[in-house]
Amino acid sequence: MLSNAIGIIFANSGYYNLQGLAKDRPIAALPFGGRYRILDFALSSMVNSGLRTIGLVTPHHYRSLLDHLGAGKDWYLDRKAGGLFILPGVMHSLAGTNHTFCIKDMHHNLEYLQKDFAENVIIARGDQIFNINFEDALEVHNEKQADVTLIYKACDNLGDPIHETILDMDEDQKVSKIRYQKAPERAEHVQSYFTNILIIRRKLLLNIIEKYSSNGCMDLIDILTINLEVLKIYGSPTDSLIGSVRTVKDYFHRSMDLLDLEVREKLLLGEDRIHTKIVDNPPTRYTSQAKVSNSLIASGCTISGEVLNSIIFRGVIVEPGCRIINSIIMPKCHIYKNAQTEYTILDKFVKVNTGNVLKGSSNHPLVVFKGTVI
Amino acid sequence: MRKQECVAMLLAGGQGSRLGGLTRKRAKPAVSFCGKYRIIDFSLSNCTNSNINTVGILIQYKPFLLNSYIGLGSAWNLDNPSAGVHILPPFLGDAEGSWYNGTANAVYQNYEFIDFYDPEYVIILSGDHVYKMDYSLMLKFHKKKNSEITLATIEVPREEASRFGILTVDGDERITKFTEKPAEPDSNLASMGVYIFNWSILKQALIADKGEHLSQNDFGKNIIPQQLKQGKRVYAYKFNGYWRDVGTIESYYHANMESLSAGHFLSIFDPKFRIFSNEDILPPHFVGASAKIENSLICNGCTVHGKVSNSILAPGVYVGEGVEISDSILLPYVKVHDGSVILNAIVGENAEIMSHCIVGAEGKFAPDQEGITVIEDNHLISAGSVIEAGTNVYKIQAI
Repeated sequence: MLSNAIGIIFANSGYYNLQGLAKDRPIAALPFGGRYRILDFALSSMVNSGLRTIGLVTPHHYRSLLDHLGAGKDWYLDRKAGGLFILPGVMHSLAGTNHTFCIKDMHHNLEYLQKDFAENVIIARGDQIFNINFEDALEVHNEKQADVTLIYKACDNLGDPIHETILDMDEDQKVSKIRYQKAPERAEHVQSYFTNILIIRRKLLLNIIEKYSSNGCMDLIDILTINLEVLKIYGSPTDSLIGSVRTVKDYFHRSMDLLDLEVREKLLLGEDRIHTKIVDNPPTRYTSQAKVSNSLIASGCTISGEVLNSIIFRGVIVEPGCRIINSIIMPKCHIYKNAQTEYTILDKFVKVNTGNVLKGSSNHPLVVFKGTVI
Repeated sequence: MRKQECVAMLLAGGQGSRLGGLTRKRAKPAVSFCGKYRIIDFSLSNCTNSNINTVGILIQYKPFLLNSYIGLGSAWNLDNPSAGVHILPPFLGDAEGSWYNGTANAVYQNYEFIDFYDPEYVIILSGDHVYKMDYSLMLKFHKKKNSEITLATIEVPREEASRFGILTVDGDERITKFTEKPAEPDSNLASMGVYIFNWSILKQALIADKGEHLSQNDFGKNIIPQQLKQGKRVYAYKFNGYWRDVGTIESYYHANMESLSAGHFLSIFDPKFRIFSNEDILPPHFVGASAKIENSLICNGCTVHGKVSNSILAPGVYVGEGVEISDSILLPYVKVHDGSVILNAIVGENAEIMSHCIVGAEGKFAPDQEGITVIEDNHLISAGSVIEAGTNVYKIQAI
């Protein structure tokens, strides 16, 4: 277990509406994978790597985020020393600005970084799905006496719809160039894509913040790119980044990826578990009319209908005669008799009345707002 | 703020030998129940939901797994600064010290613990009952009747009455007679083993009982009859909900199976009266393309590829391709490999059934048994084994 690092998670990076799924909640608070919220992945990765001090930069609509986190107990972050810190982001109400790691947000919460004694800071986004144990990367970071270590994934496309950052490295993994590429371009060969997760010396970070905070909204990544010559920046690989969520299509496909055993093994079934808020639901009950296949189903549900290639969250009721196909059904939805959904995402508390049929397509899943009665 | 109105003493030290292989490695209250729960969850959740924040848990038999499950009690919201959960094992004192010898003796040995909180009332609970009960209503009844001792009671079918402690009450609910397991019961009002005492009365009774050399130091057998004889004000509080004692393999099996029915209290999530448990962090369960599940309870972390009917799968269970499981209870992290069949069985935690086994195959068993096959925790059943129903009801040799 390490304690020479603290964490910062930016839950305010990027404002995408996701056809209403992210209207009243940040993407970090979006329910994902049957019982999680997307933030759980960044948070659990840090906690499983031994971090016990984690700051969370909040977006303007953070109610659901704080509701989920509470005092951080379910992530073992209710500490006497350290624990979970809420860092109010300055980008409140400035929807439309797309920063990854805004220096101003950190300047605004400078004390969090000043007060701690840790050598390193691990910085990540709250809207990415991954399960990374940072112990190896930290070891390399210290061995190379790096100023900054950027976590990358070697592949031909990271799937980000806006732009992607590519690292060129020498044999020693030292970063020689940071390039940007307009997405979605699929590279012809494997490249090292920066995952928006990095390790940086705390004192260096404080210096950077002090130097650049007066320059408006600068992004930490841009500052590192400018100073590539003077800093010792290394790369460290990971293969457990599943992706980020920027569009409904992303959300849908990242979710459906979980039906693949290989993805589940990387993300959910390894030694490092993804922690989440515990609700103490009873086990899920299957009645004699249930017909379920290739689906991921959380606790507290009652299943009496047909469920195929779908993800069902906690406390959902599927009545007899229903057909739920290629759909994502969020917590506490109720699908009444003989209703059907296909390529549909039902947000929380949706009721689909008897016999109704909802259909989207793989590229354009139908999204139904929270609490709608259809 | 040390003084508490009511302190709970939870009896969790019994061996539970009638649960055979299930309690070989753990105390009975730590045995898995209805998939995601452990038996002690019910009493602890009842305490939280009844606003009883001080709970002494009396442990003795194989306590490690139970202790680590309880932890600080935070899973049940019992980690309070001024009270909380206290694990109370037997201990040595200056002059005396011994193993707990009977339920009353266990409480007697911890009178200093109770005195520390200086309560008006003490509620005695059992760690092996499955029920959802608001003890604060019983306490209200106790105060209203100006009772000195109140027993929680439940009506049981007449033909089963001789298995319980049976009470006779007068028109004011005051108990006039108490008989432990009567051959000819004269009522069907049974004691649930949940008692509220005025602490002053209990203390006297425990001290008196300690001096009785012939006493078995048991609440049901000694304390309650003695106090009745002495003319104490003993009342019966009638409880109308679901309550089961899960002391034997058969009662454990049936209580589990009852939770499959739609109206069962465990099948309905009541946010105002949650049954808490200290669950492992596991992902949602995955149902494979060839799976068929009917009339069953499935917990987090399971992977199901085979056929499951009328069964309960606890967290983390793996069911391979072509497997058939019916009328069975699979405890946490059981693995059943391809092509095996499990009928009418309880499979212990972490047990592994290799491929093409038959557990609970047709066989002869004693007429007083139900032929429930029990496989102990951590057992590995090698490929192709056939285990007959009833032949090894309580114990299966390591293969």
